[in-house]
Amino acid sequence: MADRILFNLLQALAVLVFSPLVSGVTSRLKEIVQSKRGPSVFQPYRDLWKYFHKDEVVSQDATWIFRFTPYLVFATPLFVALLIPVLTDYPLFFAFMGDMLGGGFVLSLGGFFATLAAVDTANPYGPVGASRTRMVGFLAEPVFMIVFFTVSFVAGSTIPYIVQQRWITPWSTFFQPSHVLLMLAFFMLILAEGGRIPVDNPAGHFELAMIDESKALEYSGRGQALMKWGGHMKTFVLLCIFLNVLVSPWGLAHEHTFGAVVLAVPSILLKILGFVLVLVAVESSLAKLRLFRIAEFLGAAFVTSVIAMITRLYAS
Amino acid sequence: MTLILIPLLPLLAALLSLLPAGKRFAPAVTLAAMLGGLALAGVAASRVLAAQQWVAITGWVELDGLSALVLLLVAFLNVTAALFSWGYMGAHVEPQRLRSYYAHFNLFAFSLLLVPVLAEPALVWIAIEFTAVFSVLLVAFDDTKAALEAAWKYIALMFMGAAIALLGFFILFWAQQKAGGGHYSWNGLSAISPGLPPTLVLSAFLLILVGFGVKVGFVPLHTWLPDAHSQAPAPVCALLSGVKTTNALYVILRLAELLPSDRAAGWMQAVGLTSAGVAAILLLQVRDYKRLFAYSTVEHMGIIFVAAGLGTGGLYGAMLQMLAHSLTKSFCFLAAGAALFVLGTRDIASVRGLLRQSPIAGSALLLAGLAIGGAPPFAVFLSEFSIFRAGLEQAHFLVTGLLVAFVVVAFSGILLHINRIVLGTPLPATTGPGRVHLPRACVLALMVAAVPVLVFGLYQPGPLQTLLRLAASTLTPVSPR
Amino acid sequence: MPSSDVVDWLQNLNALVGGLFLLVSFGLVAIRQVQGCVRLFVALSTLLGLSAFLLSAIDHNWHLAVIGIVDVTTKAVVIPLLIRRALRDEVYTRREITQVLNIPTALLIALLLAIAAFVLARPLLAFGEGPAIAVNLPIGLAGILIGGLTAAVRREAVPLFLGLLAMENSSFFAGIAVAPEMPLIAEVSIAFDVLILVFIVGVLTRTVQERIGTTDVGTLATLSETRPT
Repeated sequence: MADRILFNLLQALAVLVFSPLVSGVTSRLKEIVQSKRGPSVFQPYRDLWKYFHKDEVVSQDATWIFRFTPYLVFATPLFVALLIPVLTDYPLFFAFMGDMLGGGFVLSLGGFFATLAAVDTANPYGPVGASRTRMVGFLAEPVFMIVFFTVSFVAGSTIPYIVQQRWITPWSTFFQPSHVLLMLAFFMLILAEGGRIPVDNPAGHFELAMIDESKALEYSGRGQALMKWGGHMKTFVLLCIFLNVLVSPWGLAHEHTFGAVVLAVPSILLKILGFVLVLVAVESSLAKLRLFRIAEFLGAAFVTSVIAMITRLYAS
Repeated sequence: MTLILIPLLPLLAALLSLLPAGKRFAPAVTLAAMLGGLALAGVAASRVLAAQQWVAITGWVELDGLSALVLLLVAFLNVTAALFSWGYMGAHVEPQRLRSYYAHFNLFAFSLLLVPVLAEPALVWIAIEFTAVFSVLLVAFDDTKAALEAAWKYIALMFMGAAIALLGFFILFWAQQKAGGGHYSWNGLSAISPGLPPTLVLSAFLLILVGFGVKVGFVPLHTWLPDAHSQAPAPVCALLSGVKTTNALYVILRLAELLPSDRAAGWMQAVGLTSAGVAAILLLQVRDYKRLFAYSTVEHMGIIFVAAGLGTGGLYGAMLQMLAHSLTKSFCFLAAGAALFVLGTRDIASVRGLLRQSPIAGSALLLAGLAIGGAPPFAVFLSEFSIFRAGLEQAHFLVTGLLVAFVVVAFSGILLHINRIVLGTPLPATTGPGRVHLPRACVLALMVAAVPVLVFGLYQPGPLQTLLRLAASTLTPVSPR
Repeated sequence: MPSSDVVDWLQNLNALVGGLFLLVSFGLVAIRQVQGCVRLFVALSTLLGLSAFLLSAIDHNWHLAVIGIVDVTTKAVVIPLLIRRALRDEVYTRREITQVLNIPTALLIALLLAIAAFVLARPLLAFGEGPAIAVNLPIGLAGILIGGLTAAVRREAVPLFLGLLAMENSSFFAGIAVAPEMPLIAEVSIAFDVLILVFIVGVLTRTVQERIGTTDVGTLATLSETRPT
């Protein structure tokens, strides 16, 4: 039992340590595709170190929400990281503390407070971005629900570890239309929730066009470090859910030994690298959508997930 | 093989009419091909009368009572339409467009003749598709905005119906395979019909009813019909209303025969009554006399379908109604074409006294209106009467009562409008300098087309009656309804 | 005789092709660009051909392989060429800005139609042997309904007509599983008949473009009883 707790904490530590690396690799690859050299892949670490050593400036109209939010945004992905399969394919100590829906709610708790904090400072760009983020959020909800419903219905449970064992481990399900379409729908969801092109430009600095970036606009010093790190971790956690629960079971530790779990770290990073390559290809070939076309994009994701559900429930 | 030759004659004529060999060449070649087709169709019909059916290629090209009847109708109406085209189109169309018209006309006639001759349902689907495809550019021939709109709506709805019906034919094949196989032809299907799984046949019938119902013009899928059947040139309208819709109805009737339960009868009556009723009511508020006749087509298709659902007695009435309607409706549209030629407008409200302006066109239009409305002593009266009698004999009082009401409404509607056009004194605005003379070919076509309309209401030759009875018996299902 | 393992793989691949077929049908309702519509139609026809090849490999039915080849040739290659030739470049690169319904609503209705198709096809599946019919028939029926919706909501001529062609593709998609032994002549002739249809509609569209000045055929609605023609 002790090793289970240890592995769980190791899992959270992996998420904490490696999430800025994923962001660094993504931006470096994007720049390379654009024929530039790009910053070093360790640049996010340096940025975080810099922010932690700076002073914080807080608006005098800000309330406790503004100060409290960075800690929440930092903690919620870590919490979810305890619940999902990151390094192992057998359930760990905290695995039954919450299921996928619970994890989704916890993540959206962080997003909710981030939205409130953006409104809190009376900066005009904050609420603009916050309302757009909410719009994307509520349009993405049905897709989440349908995806979770389908996989849980098939697996008979909503705990991610059990879903992983029953949904993707059998080989025959890999090419099923429901599997492919769910992957597609969830990928579109990651693009939306993670604030990537075609929904939002993560490298943009133009406040009027920001959707997701605006939540960190007013923060400085430690608050900004925590918000940024929380953002990186949220992306990493979403990727883990996508890759480990929905796409493929490879690279997860099967034995209960310490060595297997440590070896699982490079394999999960390799899987994430593969995903990042696909992401960079998609981002570099599409243009950012106009705001009201995002509804069509997420509508398409919704349709894809419902087709996946129909083909699984009716045609088998 | 005479049977295969029948559709090939117009195909040859289509190729020949593209040759730039003088103004009279294309119409003459067309007329010759149609006359040849009529002669061969007569030969085929007499063979069928003698031997109950004529099999040229088993499972592919066969002729039985019903298809012989339809073939004769198509062949005869082709002749009158070709004759009318000679005068009507030659008058105001330049030679190059004329050649294109006759090429399309011949292709259209080819496809119409193909439908009754083929016996494999998938090939029949293709033939019906051809009738739609080859007539699109004919509907758009006038090149006005209205004509193009009508043509676009026409082809869109036609193809939609065809795609739906295609699935129905696939399911029908599946049903036949389930029941034991055999040739996929009308004969093969009816031979095996007791063994066909009901669910499959029912779903196939529903799909084909919806799909081909668009082509027949059943309400509420009829929206393209008034537009297409009024914007096309008159001889093309005659063929469209007279024969093309009948061809589609022929296919649906063939399939209805395969259904084992008497639920089919109920549906047929319901669909037919809806069409007849809605068309009769919509008839009252038309402003264009060609649209008037188009709505009347919808109504008559509904009546035929109801009659086919009334049991064995009704089937004879349905066959007679099919014959009478095709001949009369074609004559109606030829008369309307003559009227358009004289008047230059299709608007009912702006025309008066056609009888005085052009006696031939006026009297033709008046006769046509009376005939299609169902007045005695014309053929349509006789057929409608026999349908009513069959309905009362089978104790379908509600259905027959409704049908009578709809026919009466349609009759009054048609005559209301026709009287307004034909009688009275001509309005000063429409009388131009001197009289407009109808081309001789048009007059001849009108007279030829009027003969069966006038005669068949009073006297039907023996062979014709036998053919009708044979056609009705082909449709009688093997298992009792 | 391929081992049942290989047959299982092929069945799974066929199911995947079916799912993608349905997805592309949805795409036809939603895509704004005319060029995008044509590309989606090419994808649809290719998927149909792929399914035909897979089913012919499973059942050893060379008829279906021929149908697959004919279908890919006519629909994925020739028809887009015909459309391209018939229209001027300007029409080809158009975007459709307004539709009858906005796109998310149209997508939702398409979804309802797809679910309805799956429910309606249920009683028919009892007669089928093998998983191929269970995949192709409901998806074909759904494709027909969604194609009809596309033809109803679109205003531009080319996407409207591609919706109709998609309906016919879906009929065929169901047909290759339901009636694979249909006489080959019939099925090949159907493909060529569609070709003639596309040619003629191309001519018609060009005439419409020349006379009326736009291919926005959905707005042509002058023929009715209220105005004399």
